[in-house]
Amino acid sequence: MSLTRRNILTGAAVAALASQLPLRVALAQGGDKVVRIAMPMDFTKVYTFVTAEYNQGQRDYITMMNQRGGMGGYTIAVDISDHANDQPRAIEAYERAKSQGAVLVDPLSTPVARALTPRALEDKLNMVTAFSGRSDAADGTVFPYVFPLSPNYWTQAGLLIEYFKQQDGGSLDGKTICFVHIDTPFGKEPLPVLEALAAKEGFKLQAFPYTPPGNDQSAIWPQVRRARPDWTMFWGAGVGQTVALTEAARNGLDMGRVCSSVWLSESDMDVVGRDQTVGVLKFEPCVSGREPKVIQDILTEVVGAGKGAGPEDKVGTSYYNYGVMLAALMLEGVRRAAEIAPDGPVTGEWLNAGLNSITEFTAEGLIPPTTITPEDHQGGGMGRVARWNGEVFEPMTDWFSANQDVVWDEVRKYSSEFAKTGQ
Amino acid sequence: MDMILLLELALNGVFVGLMYALLSAGIVLIYKTSGIANLAQGALAMMGAYTVVVLANSFGLSMWVAIPLALAVMFAFGVALERVALRRMIGQPVIMVIMLTIGLEIFLRGVIPGFFGAAVKRLDLGISNAPIFVGELLLNRAILIGGGVSLGLILLSILFFNSRFGIIMRAVSDNQTASWSVGIRVERAIAVAWGLSACMATTSGVLWGATQGVDWSLSLLLIKALAIAILGGLDSIVGVLIAGIIVGLAESLATGILDPIVGGGTRDVVASAIILLTLLFRPHGLFGREHIERV
Repeated sequence: MSLTRRNILTGAAVAALASQLPLRVALAQGGDKVVRIAMPMDFTKVYTFVTAEYNQGQRDYITMMNQRGGMGGYTIAVDISDHANDQPRAIEAYERAKSQGAVLVDPLSTPVARALTPRALEDKLNMVTAFSGRSDAADGTVFPYVFPLSPNYWTQAGLLIEYFKQQDGGSLDGKTICFVHIDTPFGKEPLPVLEALAAKEGFKLQAFPYTPPGNDQSAIWPQVRRARPDWTMFWGAGVGQTVALTEAARNGLDMGRVCSSVWLSESDMDVVGRDQTVGVLKFEPCVSGREPKVIQDILTEVVGAGKGAGPEDKVGTSYYNYGVMLAALMLEGVRRAAEIAPDGPVTGEWLNAGLNSITEFTAEGLIPPTTITPEDHQGGGMGRVARWNGEVFEPMTDWFSANQDVVWDEVRKYSSEFAKTGQ
Repeated sequence: MDMILLLELALNGVFVGLMYALLSAGIVLIYKTSGIANLAQGALAMMGAYTVVVLANSFGLSMWVAIPLALAVMFAFGVALERVALRRMIGQPVIMVIMLTIGLEIFLRGVIPGFFGAAVKRLDLGISNAPIFVGELLLNRAILIGGGVSLGLILLSILFFNSRFGIIMRAVSDNQTASWSVGIRVERAIAVAWGLSACMATTSGVLWGATQGVDWSLSLLLIKALAIAILGGLDSIVGVLIAGIIVGLAESLATGILDPIVGGGTRDVVASAIILLTLLFRPHGLFGREHIERV
């Protein structure tokens, strides 16, 4: 075929059309006993910093469990598509998943999860909103089909404040804590809990919002430095996090007193410079690295067999392990559902019963003991604080939860508002 | 009010403004030669930075080899863009040409991260993160160097427009038909302007990439660059220099003074307000020429 302008234009048009079609990877085909999970995620726009590694971890874990014979006799089928953080596309993907018999959907996007929440509740289709979506979805009595399955942002903030308190001799009275955050609903989310804790613990809270996506924070961090903080929390994602860290270093802040939410990974450290950020802290919901048994098993049974879903060097990164964590919890829900009703039928309600009965699950030491109940869809709110040592995040504490009374006051306040108004 | 903080914000703002101004200078360069406002300049900066990262990471080149190579690649891309896309638009309404550059911006913003990865990438120029203190005043080393390099390149641009080729470009800008009639190769002058503009965008992308990392968000620099170009005057390189300092200062001080009062978010409002106010009250900018058409 000659390379004419017509051919080039036709090819470009076909490529453009093809890019609009869903990227679908089914990890299991057909069969009577199949549990279908949909993963419409943002692979191309805003959440690109996490989606690829997170989803790689999920797929590798599911491949491993399918190879081992599935969960309770059920094979897991996964449909993956790209919603690009675009709500109409996400709704389309959700409806397609529903029509194809999916009983669980994991959109990994706060705006998408918020948009899908009323549908999921009405359709009785389980939706996982780990590290995204509404923090008040921890209240399973109001959000019976929405499952954060992980410490929400309020819990993360509460736990970090408790860590600061422990480090400062048991009191934060008179201390200054700066909260640097992206100026979006996600960035502002911890503020109610931080304000409540500031009143309770007697520290001074100073918030510094920056304009999304956070690629220029040069005027923010001099103000943080001049506020002479005892501790600094930064709350963003993607480029906002790497810029925040860089500016913190350039302003000479003590990295050992600078701390992030879950959204900080080895990849971010590569951008800033692995040796430039030694000491920085983060909230860790699961073990990172390749030490955990489940990661070792994936390396042997999946990656070693040439069936890995992505680059081998990403296995064991923070975000990869988050993906394994969530896949393990979802599949534990399937196992429990199969125990409760071995012959199904496989419906949203069937899986819901399984997810609501997850008890003291640790994914063989990858995550803290997690119990999901019809009341608590967060799973207990345990995590730990980890420190970047230039090579890996090393744990600074055991698994613990803190300030859950304050967190649940907020959860109930907002969930009751949702129950009343739907907002 | 903490005067040291204000002084620090002002100084950093000036250098940040100069870094923005370098990208604006590319917009002005094209406008001066072809009368087109290139709205793809932000995406060209992003593409230039991606090119450096790809050359350095994929081929194992040092930054100091990758950057000149990327400049050459981007110069060729700019020239090719003019030849393949822009030249075909001769005779079309200006709005169509502007739409073309918007289309190019959207296309590059989607395609480049799609091909080379959307996650933030490191672009290390070897600038230390260690702060520079002058008394109590902290100067941001990366911004200081970035602003200094930008200032140097903008001054070079001013000199360039007084060179023989620069005068040819100005002649093309003034009257293309008359330029043709005296033997000036108008198409070549415009193509070179696109090439040089792509090089300026690349340099800007590299400087900002070293500050924030390389990802799609580099294309957002367009808004700041446009605000500066409009305020300074779309056909004035000197205007770009002054307007860059004004915008940088205004943004930085607004963040320090207004953010605590209104709860944040004023930084981008400043650029938008400057565009609106300039177009309303001084459409040709501070230093731009007012075009008067004889009837």
